[in-house]
Amino acid sequence: MRHAFSVRIGPVGFRIGSDWRAPIAVLDTLYRDYPKPHDDIPDFTVRLFARRPWRRFVRPSVEIGGDFMLPEAAPLPLRQGLLAAEMAMNLQMALGARRHLLLHASAVERDGRALLMTGISGAGKSTLATLLAANGWRFMGDEFALLDTATGLIHAFPRLISLKNEAIAAAEAAWPDARMGPLLRATPKGDIRHMVPDARAIATMDTPATPALLLFPRYGFDAETRPVPPAEAFVRMTQASTNYVALGEAGFRALTGLIADVPCIAIDYPDGASAIEQVEALWAAL
Amino acid sequence: MHQTIFHGPPENGLFVAPLDEFTAVYHRASGITHLLTEPAPQILAMLGKGALSLDALLDRLARDYDLTDGTREALAARLDELIESGLIESGLIESEPVERT
Amino acid sequence: MKGLSANRGIMDDTRPNQYPVNPALAASADGDASVPTRRRVLALGAVTAGAVMSIRPALAQTAGSVLNCEIPVPDASRAGSYIDADGKVVPARTKGAFPSSPRPFKGEEVKRAMANGSTLPGTDSARSRAYVKYIRRLQRGQGGFTCFASLQMPRG
Repeated sequence: MRHAFSVRIGPVGFRIGSDWRAPIAVLDTLYRDYPKPHDDIPDFTVRLFARRPWRRFVRPSVEIGGDFMLPEAAPLPLRQGLLAAEMAMNLQMALGARRHLLLHASAVERDGRALLMTGISGAGKSTLATLLAANGWRFMGDEFALLDTATGLIHAFPRLISLKNEAIAAAEAAWPDARMGPLLRATPKGDIRHMVPDARAIATMDTPATPALLLFPRYGFDAETRPVPPAEAFVRMTQASTNYVALGEAGFRALTGLIADVPCIAIDYPDGASAIEQVEALWAAL
Repeated sequence: MHQTIFHGPPENGLFVAPLDEFTAVYHRASGITHLLTEPAPQILAMLGKGALSLDALLDRLARDYDLTDGTREALAARLDELIESGLIESGLIESEPVERT
Repeated sequence: MKGLSANRGIMDDTRPNQYPVNPALAASADGDASVPTRRRVLALGAVTAGAVMSIRPALAQTAGSVLNCEIPVPDASRAGSYIDADGKVVPARTKGAFPSSPRPFKGEEVKRAMANGSTLPGTDSARSRAYVKYIRRLQRGQGGFTCFASLQMPRG
């Protein structure tokens, strides 16, 4: 690999090797304030490579590789190299993480306690997390929350925030000073733009938090909150975790422990302002 | 005379986490997590004390619980489900099972 | 507003005492380990009801682009083999079997074929059926499995 980049996001260190300089240059810029892997030893290695040597130049397309391969994943054009790198990092974590139970949830923190938000793409967990961060909460991550199976604590994983389609313009308007990656049009997931988390999120990424509330948000409905029965919450979280099965006993104990300790609430909200109000009320009632 | 008996996982073969009307169960031998609703957890508990035939199991359950309109067929269906999930196994023996207390 | 603690009371007499229970849940179990004097009702359920559900968690939903993945038929290590009507991989030119697919199928194509029975692109119905059976039999570790598995899981 001609070009390489290393970064640590929360407890996870990555090394990205690439056949092309361009994606590395973008990663270097966007992650410039992040630390390097502990002892320079990455947890996961990612490769961005050309299937054939001449494909580095002719209709260049990026294949994703690493310790864990998904050989049937289709390649992306080079101009979407940043997306390929982010997807590759996701993939290695999803298939290989063993120290933490990966929850497909966003997380914010206040007073040492974490608020987790989980749900399908578009439900609003990513948007809600960034909104709350703009309202004084510490941003821990928009896509993965790491549950330490030994301690039950939530560790931050504040990688670049992946904004999609309409959320891009909304974020650009709400945070005109935020650092952004290139606008990637017409990716397999629509238009995407990456936003760098705020300085506080990066500076405090190594401080874990005790999980205190688990929300299942739904955007675009009249405001309503209702408890989610423990078994339903448990099953939904097994679906939302990418390494629950791989972790075996540790995963079972960690997840049943989380459900035992933390209220699970479904929250429907019509807009951001309402969401914040509802969240603050739920938090106050804990 | 042959008889079918059913047995559950060995001691420490399961982690059990009651949630609400459902109970989550981690089966260590397979690594699979199951979600059970009554009477499955109660059946597993009963079989955990020793292998039982269908009739013996029905008797024991009737002793500890009020089975109201529970039928032998219903219990057989529950046992089939538990077998399919791998949580219990059935075997043939030649005589009455030795009762462990 | 607590999590499970409020709901555990009714389950106490049903927990198998000899199985280790998640300590977090055992925290406030009341000392009611003795058999209750009045028997509690236990419903065995109808013959057609179900009491056991196995959790099959989704694989790597967020990783990679689900519908952007591909499934080769058969996988690369067995390219050149044929697929019989049951979806099994058989030696090339086996009578009644179909040649391997010249190109891998996209996740989207396979999902559609499985959902509404339409034929996979570039195949006739018999060949498509054989291919779909092959795909359904994929095991972890075989090329295309993770793509196939991600099609199965509920989105969300």
